[in-house]
Amino acid sequence: MSTLTALIVVLAILMTIVGGEAGIRSFFSVLINTLLLILVALLISWGINIELLILIFIPLKLVTIIFLGTHNGRVAKNSFVAALIVSVTVSVLILVVQYFAQAAGLGPEAGEVLVGLSQMPGLSYPMIAVAVAMFSSLGAIAEAAVAMSSGLLALKRAQPDISAAALKHSGNRIGTDVIGTALNTILFGMFGSFLSLFLWYFRLNYSIGQVLNEKLFVNEALIIMYSLIGVLLTVPLTTVLLVEGITKTEVKNEK
Amino acid sequence: MKKKYLIAIIILLIGSGLTLATYFATHIYQRDSVALITDYQIKDTFVQRDKDVYGNIDQTRRQTLHLTILSGPQRGKKYVTSNVYYPSQLVSQKYRPRQRIFVDIKKNQPAIVNPKRDWVLVVVLTLTLALMVAVTGKKAIPLICSLILSWVIFYGVILADVKLNGTSMFLLFASANIIFSFVSLAIVQGVNQKMLVTWVATLLGVFISFGICYAVMKLTGETEMRYETGDYATQDPRGIFMAQALLGILGAVMDEATDIVSSLHELVKTTPDITPLTLMKSGRAMGQEIMGPLINVLVLIFISGALPETILYLRDNNTLAAAFGFTLSLGATQSVIAAIGIVLTVIFATGCSLWFLRVRKQGDLV
Repeated sequence: MSTLTALIVVLAILMTIVGGEAGIRSFFSVLINTLLLILVALLISWGINIELLILIFIPLKLVTIIFLGTHNGRVAKNSFVAALIVSVTVSVLILVVQYFAQAAGLGPEAGEVLVGLSQMPGLSYPMIAVAVAMFSSLGAIAEAAVAMSSGLLALKRAQPDISAAALKHSGNRIGTDVIGTALNTILFGMFGSFLSLFLWYFRLNYSIGQVLNEKLFVNEALIIMYSLIGVLLTVPLTTVLLVEGITKTEVKNEK
Repeated sequence: MKKKYLIAIIILLIGSGLTLATYFATHIYQRDSVALITDYQIKDTFVQRDKDVYGNIDQTRRQTLHLTILSGPQRGKKYVTSNVYYPSQLVSQKYRPRQRIFVDIKKNQPAIVNPKRDWVLVVVLTLTLALMVAVTGKKAIPLICSLILSWVIFYGVILADVKLNGTSMFLLFASANIIFSFVSLAIVQGVNQKMLVTWVATLLGVFISFGICYAVMKLTGETEMRYETGDYATQDPRGIFMAQALLGILGAVMDEATDIVSSLHELVKTTPDITPLTLMKSGRAMGQEIMGPLINVLVLIFISGALPETILYLRDNNTLAAAFGFTLSLGATQSVIAAIGIVLTVIFATGCSLWFLRVRKQGDLV
């Protein structure tokens, strides 16, 4: 058995023990999510329109993360709407910023990787960079939306007659926790992903000025910030959507 | 208007100023000269249509650029140069009118190095900080401090690694994890019982899960672990992989432990008659909610980063299995290791929180 397969088996067993049925669902959510990402790569390599793929796969990936990962229907629905609105907003930001950053493709550092590979693949790498940035930030946005919705709904369940204003106020407090949670995950995830690149910069004596203008560094730093912006936008939006939703259902019930 | 929005607007204003300053800054750069492309419309000529051995069709195009040098010894001089690019822009770059770029002038011939991208980072950083203040208010201060600190420690660890020349990498990154988690938790929560419990849970989560994964890797003989496919390797690629796995796990585990321990601490404080069993059940319920989305965050980060290369491999008629082996297998392994850490942390965070019950019995719960 290869190491990767063995580790996946260990993960599946652990998730079943710790998470029970919810754990099994989470395992499949992660698995499907990964397969979807590989499918995107395959479809792009076939030359299918990248913009179209982005439009299809953003909602599809949010559905797998949110609906498979949580078992409360209301949490899922509210999180999905909030996450989708934020993803679209962040996507617009990504399109604009990537246009000016011109940080697509592989840097001169990748020379060794490229041996024997085509340097003229006939695909738009600027658009691929946009897609990569969008998909990288999706996970953080979805996580924040689910954490906010479930936190607020748990509060509402514990105190059924809490006022909308009080709920919004608690939203601020929960929001800070959610942001704190996302922050280190995103940052260290990126550090862990690009340690070798940073070591490369040091070993080859890049100056700080060079690093700050270097394609790959700029791209990575931007992806960290897109994800953070996504999380920061998700927190107030989820609160507003949820509080409005709750008030509306109450009015309906009174009639 | 609330104070936090006012501060956010002030940050935006200062940030815009800094953006302009960075955009026009030319003298802070010593190594290469900054140049301005003076054309309002760049002459862009078609050179040839290319078809490579894989059947990919692309073009070769040439831009004629008029440059005015803005910094360095050649300041004020004008040059005409050309830039060859392929529209897919995988390794080549298409330049835009009136753009500022870096050039390396040798023997009176300018070679284009890079577009000037620094100001874009300043814009997006400004936006992030302003949003952070607008959303979290005063709490933004510890968050921003912890962000800065992470970068500082990361920088320090890299310096140390370069100094040690890549030896004892595991030891270095393990100690970095211990120090970093302590300092970061102390900044956000202050040093107290809750923080110490979170710290212990984090360390158990990181090291025990890493130990289990290492044992699995050894038992399976590290089959199909293609360390040599790691990018930009300047030292032992296996060491780099281990260090990356340790680092990638830490943030998620620390955040998750904070979440679970804080909630259980709150629970112990507010529910006087809580039993160890109910506490464990609550911890498990929280873990079930949290682990799926958290694992997805890391998977998306680890795998998305490798997509540009994966697409290239697939485009060049490699099979899916070959492309996966070359570009994704290390990232996927790293994701699974992180996922195992996230799942086990549910157990450790809940277990460590049981300590609150004992402290409460002695009347020392803070």
